[in-house]
Amino acid sequence: MSAGRLERKPFLAVAVTVAFFAWLYLPIVAVALFSFNSAKSLSVFSGFSTRWYSDFFSNSALLESLSASLRIATVAALGSLVLGTMLALGLERITSRPARAVGAVTLMPLVTPEIVTGVAALLLFTGVGLKLSLSTVTLAEITFSIAYVTVIVRGRLGSMSPEVEEAARDLGCTPWQALRLVTLPALFPALLGSGLLVFALVFDDFVLAFFTTGVDPQPLPVRIYSSIRFGISPAINAVGTLMLLVSGLLIVAALLLPRLFNRKTSSLDLITGGERR
Amino acid sequence: MVPTAWMVAFFVSSMLVVVLLSFGHTQADGQPVFGTTPANFAALWDPVYLELFLRSLGYALATVVLSVAVAYPVAYAIALHGGRYKNALIAAIVVPFFASYLIRMYAWKALLSDDGLVNSGLRKSGLSDGIAFLNTPWAVVGGLVYGFVVFMILPVYASLERMDVSLIEAGKDLYHGPLRTFVTVTLPATRAGLYGGMLLVFLPALGDFVSAQLLGGPRTYMIGNLIQQQFAEGQNWPLGSAMTVAMMGALTVLMVVYLRATTTRTRERS
Repeated sequence: MSAGRLERKPFLAVAVTVAFFAWLYLPIVAVALFSFNSAKSLSVFSGFSTRWYSDFFSNSALLESLSASLRIATVAALGSLVLGTMLALGLERITSRPARAVGAVTLMPLVTPEIVTGVAALLLFTGVGLKLSLSTVTLAEITFSIAYVTVIVRGRLGSMSPEVEEAARDLGCTPWQALRLVTLPALFPALLGSGLLVFALVFDDFVLAFFTTGVDPQPLPVRIYSSIRFGISPAINAVGTLMLLVSGLLIVAALLLPRLFNRKTSSLDLITGGERR
Repeated sequence: MVPTAWMVAFFVSSMLVVVLLSFGHTQADGQPVFGTTPANFAALWDPVYLELFLRSLGYALATVVLSVAVAYPVAYAIALHGGRYKNALIAAIVVPFFASYLIRMYAWKALLSDDGLVNSGLRKSGLSDGIAFLNTPWAVVGGLVYGFVVFMILPVYASLERMDVSLIEAGKDLYHGPLRTFVTVTLPATRAGLYGGMLLVFLPALGDFVSAQLLGGPRTYMIGNLIQQQFAEGQNWPLGSAMTVAMMGALTVLMVVYLRATTTRTRERS
């Protein structure tokens, strides 16, 4: 064992990793595979068929839920992007102690179990007399997502040097111009990434939507949940596969796209003394 | 500031409403009203509820322990031996984790159900007549680990990435034996990541109700299921609010103790 150098692969860790990836993907692959099963069985594959998908696309109630979820995610992504960026910019400039405490409160949703946020939102909305609907879901999702945007954008702000904005001010920019022409373009990759991330998270979020939605139409995850409780069916496999595909692609985009833009602006980063990778 | 006002209007005030309603009661017509009675909290001091609360705590702690056992080797293998595939491997973990928690729980339900792929495979191979996986604590805790282990992998991976690899080399020269090197060099260097990951896994696991609902049953219900029932089925909102406040209170105490203990320990090390 004296030759235990770093170059040697740690057998145990690699074995656990391989098993982990199998465990991670096995259920997902099974769901996707059996969504193309021509029979109802979830264990015997009788033949290839897309009937569960055509069932889904001819089910107007489910399609309405899908469109509801897409609309909620779009509005929530845009709303939390605006508010979260404002919060990040504000926190970056604030140095006084009480104001920083306020900033900490705004990040609390990140460490609060989602069921608590959901229950609280439900009580608030019914308490002030708002009728539960897709709008209440959207309001709750925005509130929950602001913290994500703030954390990501602050990370990016932290790696930017404040002198750039000061230079813009020295060159005669108003604060608003400096923000619009200098800071926001530099933040673009972070904004794009966090916007896509929030969209994906909200699109398939279940817990918050469950507590804050009205009766009809319901967001897609809430509808799926009520049908899962009555049992498993190939139809849910098809919807589930579609949902995994949509949010999976969005997350991939959230990971890849900002990098693409980063590379393009890397020369600018160099000049401005920004982060180099 | 607009975002702060938004957070106060929608988040802080909503928390206050929960606290206020936890002292309220339900009218004869089923309407919840505010009040000043501690009756809901007194009602929680009941063996049935206490058992459920302790069970949730146990499940959440088991989830944390299992997550460390799974996440550490994975993060270690990728961070130190992933080579140029590091980012791709981490992405391959992150992507499914951020795609629909609900569908992933459903996927396990489909796989482990009595007529699911695993049981039919067991029957066909003649190994067993089938095993009732669902409705067991194993299924629920397994679901929680499956749901939240990424929150352990990412911080541990990040702290392993930041670590100076030559320290491990030096440790091996000094202490010999990979195990002693791991305990005296690698583990302390990743302490912050581990502590952070434990918190990030524990918090959502304690409040979860989807895993126990889909993979478990009434015998494996957690506090989240109880709260959910008060709002969706039982319609006793003040009692549900008291449960929520009690859970948040316990969480806050645990978090303060935990953060105190971990920050002083990390400070001592560095």
